[in-house]
Amino acid sequence: MKTIEEINQRIKDGDAVVVTAAEMTQIVKENGADKAADEIDVVTTGTFGAMCSSGAFLNFGHTDPPIKMTKTYLNGVEAYSGIAAVDSYIGATQPSRIPEIGIDYGGAHVIEDLIRGKDIELIASSYGTDCYPLTDLKTHVNIENLNEAIMVNPRNCYQNYAAAINTTDEIIYTYMGTLLPNMGNVSFSSAGVLSPLLNDPYFQTIGMGTKIFMCGAEGYVIGEGTQHNTEVQRKNGVPVNGAGTLMLKGDMKQMDPKYVRGATMPKYGSTLYVGLGIPIPIINSDIAQKTAISDEDIVCQIMDYGTPKRSKPVVMESNYKQLRSGSVEINGVEIETSPLSSYKKALEIALELKSWINKGDFLLSNPVKLLKSEGCSPRPLEIRRQTVLVNEIKSKPLITANPNDDIRDVAKKMVQNSINHLPVVDADQKLLGIVTSWDIANAVAKGKTMLKDVMTKKVVIAREDEPVDVIARRIDKHEISGLPIISKNNRVMGMITAEDISRLMCARNLKDGV
Amino acid sequence: MVNKAVITDLIKNFDVSFNILRADINPKGGKMLIEINGSEAEKGIEYIEKAGIDVSPVKRVVKKDKDLCIDCGACVSICPVKAIVIEDDWTVDVNDTECVGCKLCTYSCPTKAIKVVE
Repeated sequence: MKTIEEINQRIKDGDAVVVTAAEMTQIVKENGADKAADEIDVVTTGTFGAMCSSGAFLNFGHTDPPIKMTKTYLNGVEAYSGIAAVDSYIGATQPSRIPEIGIDYGGAHVIEDLIRGKDIELIASSYGTDCYPLTDLKTHVNIENLNEAIMVNPRNCYQNYAAAINTTDEIIYTYMGTLLPNMGNVSFSSAGVLSPLLNDPYFQTIGMGTKIFMCGAEGYVIGEGTQHNTEVQRKNGVPVNGAGTLMLKGDMKQMDPKYVRGATMPKYGSTLYVGLGIPIPIINSDIAQKTAISDEDIVCQIMDYGTPKRSKPVVMESNYKQLRSGSVEINGVEIETSPLSSYKKALEIALELKSWINKGDFLLSNPVKLLKSEGCSPRPLEIRRQTVLVNEIKSKPLITANPNDDIRDVAKKMVQNSINHLPVVDADQKLLGIVTSWDIANAVAKGKTMLKDVMTKKVVIAREDEPVDVIARRIDKHEISGLPIISKNNRVMGMITAEDISRLMCARNLKDGV
Repeated sequence: MVNKAVITDLIKNFDVSFNILRADINPKGGKMLIEINGSEAEKGIEYIEKAGIDVSPVKRVVKKDKDLCIDCGACVSICPVKAIVIEDDWTVDVNDTECVGCKLCTYSCPTKAIKVVE
């Protein structure tokens, strides 16, 4: 048993033995936890990953005449300013208000530019009051002239996180990066063996007031992060999926741009890469054993991000040794894996924190209150308005065509039924293609007579049990106007069109009084 | 300016296969970006040069901006030809000779650190 005070005395005397979490795994393997607990004082961890739930409080100072800012834009990115007169909170994922820029420059980029010392354009407006008469301003701010620039991140440093795969037949762009179709790749995020919360999995040393490495400066844990979850299934003592989280605070004026980066996940949004390192005091052999966890022992579920639902199906369970090897095997096929967070930077951070402690520059702190290790599980948000499923929508009676039909007959059928889309089926009502009025016009122009020569064979479809909102997004994404509805046994059941969806929205809005 | 069906003759007379990647032809002339393969590719190129077309080989260079790259590795598994690898020191390395220029990495990079220049 060692106390934090005793460890700090050793740090001050220059006698403390500090190792990284990766080194500790080896040390405990060779010497056992008891001996390691005697010899080692501190284990340093590190991670450098995309942490969307990040942002910063900025205080601009008062102008003359004064303004009570109600809207603020930093380099075109809106910051929340419903807090007093000259405070605002810039969130990492807020996109630029200029449509051409959008997610390519968001709150995360503003934060990085501030830390780099760059000038940032500030535009603010207000309604004007007796004591704050000024109604708008345009100026520049930078890290020097801001009174405070305090990074406060509501949810950072996830304890493990599911890896992502895509089982659909089209490429998707997610917060886990680009996912190739038909399980073409796997993307994972955790730093594994170096990840801070996987080295103290029951929060026996980390809590409110724990001093940490935050983007190259000293920062603090200020409590559990949002969505902190203690009830995730565990294997080898660590959760197999996203679990505990941290809320953190740090002074941006002290931060080093080397350890923070604004980034953009294509077609998803901006995000902030946050460099974090947490020192774990080796107060007993139990903690020594916990910090000895290896990549192989940390299980990670690979989930299907092709399912746009809250609970995504688990495709398989892997571990970080396997994931980091560059490929995993699923159903006999080698699938390439790649990390989304930088292991190189994570290691750099663990080593940097180690050198701070070795130099006596960084003492450990006793947390005021440890993080909750049980009884926390985030609840989902239930939507009051019921989600409408595809098979609940009233659609026109099903009319189909056969591939050998004459174009003229098909045209007649479309006119008679006043429809623009016609699914083409075989004798078993199985889908072969789709034909639209445009295809018919095209056929006439080119002098074609058989339906099978002009129908579209690669068809975007809707399943009966899918929410209509998902179909609306699909229509938009593929720039189409209607999709055949396909049953579980692959029979064509009907068509769902953009008109059906707009009719549904109109009815909905009427009911809600919008 | 060449008033001959050079490309047609090229295919007819030489064992070559090719892809037109880009074409910008107007009445005054123009430019085409083509990829030529096959056993007689070199002879074929010689032929079109003789026919009066300026041929300049395209150098495709895939480059990683070291200042922008954070060595995360997001690009590694999406590369169709394994031209991007993570080195022993965890640095992400882009191999210029393997690259086929699909640009999936340049598009997917969170920090826009990879550029393909033709």
